[in-house]
Amino acid sequence: MNPLYTLPVDEPAYSFGFLDEYAKREVRRSILKAICIPGYQTPYASREMPMGRGFGTGGLQLTLALIGPGDTLKVIDQGADDSVNAVNLRHFVELTCPGVDTSEHTAEASLIQSRHRIPERPLEPSQVLVLQVPYPDPLVIVEASESRRKVMHGEGDYSRLLTKLYEDIVQFDEITIAHRYPTRINGHYVIDPSPIPRFDISKLHQSRALTLLGAGREKKIYAVPPYTNAAPLVFDDVPFRVEDFTDDDGHRRPCGRCASRESFLDEIIDDSGTRHWQCSDSDYCNEHLAQADTGERP
Amino acid sequence: MTKQPTHTCTPAGGTALQAWQPLTQQAVFRQLLHAFSYPGQIMALDCEDAMTHVLATLLDAEVSLADVHEQLDALAWQRLQARRQVVEQANFVLLDGSRPALCEPALGTLESPEGGATLILRVAQLGTGTPLALSGPGIASCTALSVSGLHSSWLQARQRWNVGFPLGVDLLLVDQQQLVALPRTTAVQFDVLGAD
Repeated sequence: MNPLYTLPVDEPAYSFGFLDEYAKREVRRSILKAICIPGYQTPYASREMPMGRGFGTGGLQLTLALIGPGDTLKVIDQGADDSVNAVNLRHFVELTCPGVDTSEHTAEASLIQSRHRIPERPLEPSQVLVLQVPYPDPLVIVEASESRRKVMHGEGDYSRLLTKLYEDIVQFDEITIAHRYPTRINGHYVIDPSPIPRFDISKLHQSRALTLLGAGREKKIYAVPPYTNAAPLVFDDVPFRVEDFTDDDGHRRPCGRCASRESFLDEIIDDSGTRHWQCSDSDYCNEHLAQADTGERP
Repeated sequence: MTKQPTHTCTPAGGTALQAWQPLTQQAVFRQLLHAFSYPGQIMALDCEDAMTHVLATLLDAEVSLADVHEQLDALAWQRLQARRQVVEQANFVLLDGSRPALCEPALGTLESPEGGATLILRVAQLGTGTPLALSGPGIASCTALSVSGLHSSWLQARQRWNVGFPLGVDLLLVDQQQLVALPRTTAVQFDVLGAD
């Protein structure tokens, strides 16, 4: 981003939050319908943003339609606040939304835009989580035609998706969908919950906060309302498994930095080829470390 | 439940035109977002005319409105820019909740259930009157809502319209200063109210 760039705030056509008011109103209407029909991919226009589609434009449009002076925004990229996608999106909001605070602390944020992780700290009803989605439709792997997929979604017909999962078990003894695990919302629509790890699916279930998902390239908005069932698609005799962090001795690996045994871990291989494990959620890791330093129980 | 951070919808020098200010609409939208996320929670708008604020926040020339009970004047129509539409096809339907439910709004289609209308019902007062028991997404187990000035036929009609999820209508009840949402997923138990 050009550091010398200043906003044309004196021009009458300039809107708070970059998007014009008509675009925001359209996104807002779609958000409300998405909440009313949990898990349904509500279409919207998806405006051109000053960044490439696929860089979080869906999430960003949701954030810009929601945000106002007095909000505190946290932006996460794969759990961290300081990786490139998060830093750029945060700068963009700081530039276009005067009066908005940004924070790296989950507890302080009223709006959280995230790429591919749900924070470890349980969210509050006063918070809204916005997830960036690359591929919104879980049925795309079994049906190429969108109009047919829309009928299947409407009828709640996920038999072909279940067949795919069954074939995985027959062939590999394991369902091969690692992240973006198909999840049924409120007993009807199955969503692609964006590429969050399986570990995070349980955080969507009966969450106290609203989760909004935005796919900019595919022009879809969908929602998991608070206090709503979110169940991964499974078979009765094959239980759902999350990522396994046990070591060779059968112990749960701790984070190499804060020693937490509760969080989702990233595997890091250093220059010498040694493997390390560390919390993916950097704010959780920092807080856990600070609490450990002061001798408090986290 | 924790309170939403207070968003004031009165910009400096609030006038009758404040509903048309972008920052007011942002604040009203956040109240609407919370209302639809947590059905049955009454959200207070910092204004005297909740109906106009809601309409100004949600409507523009892209959508259609049916004003069944003629509650809008010509000036409001001009400012909203919304297309007039018959109630069967309108995206938004503005109604007087004290009158009986005699219309048939759009329910959407199986492929596009978002075509189900949003009904905006004016009621006398939220928070007093007939008690209703609500459950469904957005509600931890069960919650109570009191409404006065809502004709009981609306709840029966709503139940009929919403019987085949994902098709249905979404209700927004507004009084002078407050609003509450009843999305199509909310189950309303109204036999608790007995004779109305």
